[in-house]
Amino acid sequence: MRKMAAVLLASTAAVLCGCHAYQRGEVSQPVPRPSAVLDFATLYGQNCAACHGPDGANGPATDLANPEYLALVDDAGLRKWIGSGMPGTQMPAFAKSSGGMLTDAQVNAIIAGMRKRWSRPGALEGAQPPPYAQTQTGDAKRGTQTYQARCAICHKQTRDEITNPVYLALVSDQVLRTMIIAGSPDIGQPDWRHDSVDGKPATPLTDQDINDIIAYLDGLRNASPGFAGTAAEPQSGAPAR
Amino acid sequence: MPRVNGTGQRIYAWFERRLQLEGPVKEAALHPVPRNTASWWYVFGSAAFTLLFLQIITGILLALIYVPSAAHAWDSLNVLNHQVPLGWYIRALHGWGSNFMVAIVLIHMAQVFLFGAYKFPRELTWILGVFLLLMTLGMAFTGQVLRFDQDAYWGLGIGASIMGRVPFIGGGLVHLLLGGPIIAGATLSRFFTLHVFVIPGLLLLFALTHVWMVLKLGVNEWPMPGRVVRRATYVEEYNKLAHEDGIPFVPGAFWKDLVFSGAVIAAVAVCALIMGPFGPGGQPDPSIIQTVPKPDFFFLWIYAVLSYLPPALETPFILIAPIIGIAILLALPFYAAEGEKSWHRRPVAVLVVSFVAVAWGSFTQLGTVTPWSPHMSAWSADAIPAKFLRGASPLVRQGANVFQDKQCRNCHAVGGLGGQRGPALDDIATRMTPDELRFKVVTGGGNMPAFGKNLSPAEIEALVAFLDTLHPPNQRPAVNPVNEVYTSTHASGGEDIPAAQGAPR
Ligand code: HEC
Ligand code: HEC
Ligand code: HEC
Repeated sequence: MRKMAAVLLASTAAVLCGCHAYQRGEVSQPVPRPSAVLDFATLYGQNCAACHGPDGANGPATDLANPEYLALVDDAGLRKWIGSGMPGTQMPAFAKSSGGMLTDAQVNAIIAGMRKRWSRPGALEGAQPPPYAQTQTGDAKRGTQTYQARCAICHKQTRDEITNPVYLALVSDQVLRTMIIAGSPDIGQPDWRHDSVDGKPATPLTDQDINDIIAYLDGLRNASPGFAGTAAEPQSGAPAR
Repeated sequence: MPRVNGTGQRIYAWFERRLQLEGPVKEAALHPVPRNTASWWYVFGSAAFTLLFLQIITGILLALIYVPSAAHAWDSLNVLNHQVPLGWYIRALHGWGSNFMVAIVLIHMAQVFLFGAYKFPRELTWILGVFLLLMTLGMAFTGQVLRFDQDAYWGLGIGASIMGRVPFIGGGLVHLLLGGPIIAGATLSRFFTLHVFVIPGLLLLFALTHVWMVLKLGVNEWPMPGRVVRRATYVEEYNKLAHEDGIPFVPGAFWKDLVFSGAVIAAVAVCALIMGPFGPGGQPDPSIIQTVPKPDFFFLWIYAVLSYLPPALETPFILIAPIIGIAILLALPFYAAEGEKSWHRRPVAVLVVSFVAVAWGSFTQLGTVTPWSPHMSAWSADAIPAKFLRGASPLVRQGANVFQDKQCRNCHAVGGLGGQRGPALDDIATRMTPDELRFKVVTGGGNMPAFGKNLSPAEIEALVAFLDTLHPPNQRPAVNPVNEVYTSTHASGGEDIPAAQGAPR
């Protein structure tokens, strides 16, 4: 009788262990093909969350949940960057046509989802921002002064400046432009209307100002040949030192 | 002959006159077995046999709906799951029945080994048993392929690449296994034939012969220390034991078999009810690479073992170990046909079984919990923990982008998320100086790829700046004692800057 109890106990234990190896489950729903997934949360979580943060913000890359950013950029612009990547940055291409894994429908679903979730009507409070894309080259000399007046008030304090050529080698002019116009609430970068000591309202930067600042930053980037190469065209071989 | 009256009796007699089964059946049922073999330890064989029948019945029911074609197999399983009434339950019974059968066959085998039941004159019974084990595993594997989902697809791919490593004939074997150079419709037909006709036919034949021998040779007596098996005297001793202190097999021992088999079937039924059927997972399509294929439970250990082996040993292990293992099992009854049966006098046997059980358990556990292959979507899905970005400098933030974009995360976890092919990097800065980090990233080593050619100098510097911030807030990062140039206040993540980069600002 004792033996019987032992064997029964052992087999019950075995059964329980065996069963526990699996998750409690009902009948699984058919798993859709990955290319058929159109749910924004899934698409964003699988493809974007790593760099842009789980909720569009607080990641190492652009704050996509910034309503001002979404008001600034149009769908075509978003489609271009998401689909074929952003040259000169770590933003990869996602469209199948550019070697990525997403269909055009999925890219559109992401864009629609971003707008639905993060756009806010009146984000710009009626103000007319400088155009999203740069149309004219600026003047580096003037840019130095504008930078000192409008940016260095904050940026001279931190030790690892945005004027660091290594940093500049990794961001494109458009990234800088987006940052200056729309700002980045998650890290505390003010938008183009708030470049003052405490981020209080100030004279808005003009398109001209922004072009100038970028020309100035371009000069810093290119003055340091070792790092002038951008991420898009990796340079061969040895580390910097 | 049982008393049956009237017509019934006459019909029975008509058949018995022609079949003449009564004698043999009675003899088999009532043959005496040693009293102490009517033990609860002797129920596993019959339970395995019962499960075989459960598998045959549920298998036939599944075959009524299942379509063995590459285009429709996956759909037909979803039809079973969702449209056929109780179809999901039949699938669940078949799936769980399979797992239980493998488990019970293994337990049965361990018990037979520990009780010395493979010794003279039962050598052939054991050898058939070894083949039965192989066929049971073969059924489990081919069955998993019939599910024809992503796991099946990649499992097959792995199986094929193992085959392909056989010297000289590898290519031919792969062709034979897959029915062509690639996994396609012909592959599924092949596995369907194996799973439904070839292996079950052999399995049934072997199992019946196995049972026949058990009945003819008698159930192994309870091993007693000191009662040694000798070819010359064993049969006589056994018969004496069975007749002097024996009970008829039915019902003396048989009722325990019945009870246990019933309990096992009930356990399968409950598991199937609560846990449901297995899969099917994603569609089997080689263009879908967003997948983490995992073999079924009983093959998980292979997964873990392979990922622990150094690459150079993989091929020899895969090709030679199974052959050695099977050869040992087959040779066992000849090597040890005589001698002690009792485990009290066979410490090595006990050690071997315990070792195998523990090793199997641990490797299975490892295979269950550890994602061995790189985590293919970590680079774009697993967010950098906010604590590592709070107040981080622009350069460090770009380093984090590089870390993700270059897919370091697929092999290296941070904050518990990411692949585990390489070590987690949460506190890498306490272990490596910036120079060491730079060197590691550029040159790789171990199973770490060299990234020197794939990163621009700026990317490397940013990456190193980021890695150098990965340390617990209360622990200072490693510094190169010789190179005092590296000075930085690493107290808070925000102001980390490798002075080593020395670039103008
Ligand atoms: C490997 C990291 C990474 C992943 C994954 C990633 N991005 Fe990006 N993305 C970047 C980087 C880096 C930039 C450039 C800005 C910067 O440096 O912060 C960028 C820029 C962008 C921009 C343009 C910003 C601008 O200035 O207008 C958009 C839009 C964008 N990403 C959307 C997405 C979406 C949507 C996904 C998911 C489908 C995604 N990104 C996935 C890293 C990534
Ligand atoms: C109110 C203070 C303030 C002003 C004015 C300001 N910034 Fe910033 N900026 C910040 C803060 C805070 C951050 C985030 C911390 C950091 O990166 O150093 C930041 C970050 C940045 C970044 C890096 C974002 C990244 O990818 O990590 C750039 C580029 C930048 N600022 C550009 C500018 C430019 C150009 C100007 C002048 C037009 C400017 N900022 C004016 C506060 C300011
Ligand atoms: C294919 C998987 C894989 C990828 C991708 C990968 N690593 Fe590794 N990495 C490893 C393995 C495996 C090791 C352990 C190697 C060893 O034994 O030294 C390792 C080691 C390291 C180490 C040393 C860790 C320690 O504790 O000793 C660092 C640092 C590191 N990797 C950084 C990176 C970075 C940065 C990237 C992206 C540029 C990267 N790895 C990409 C697999 C990978």
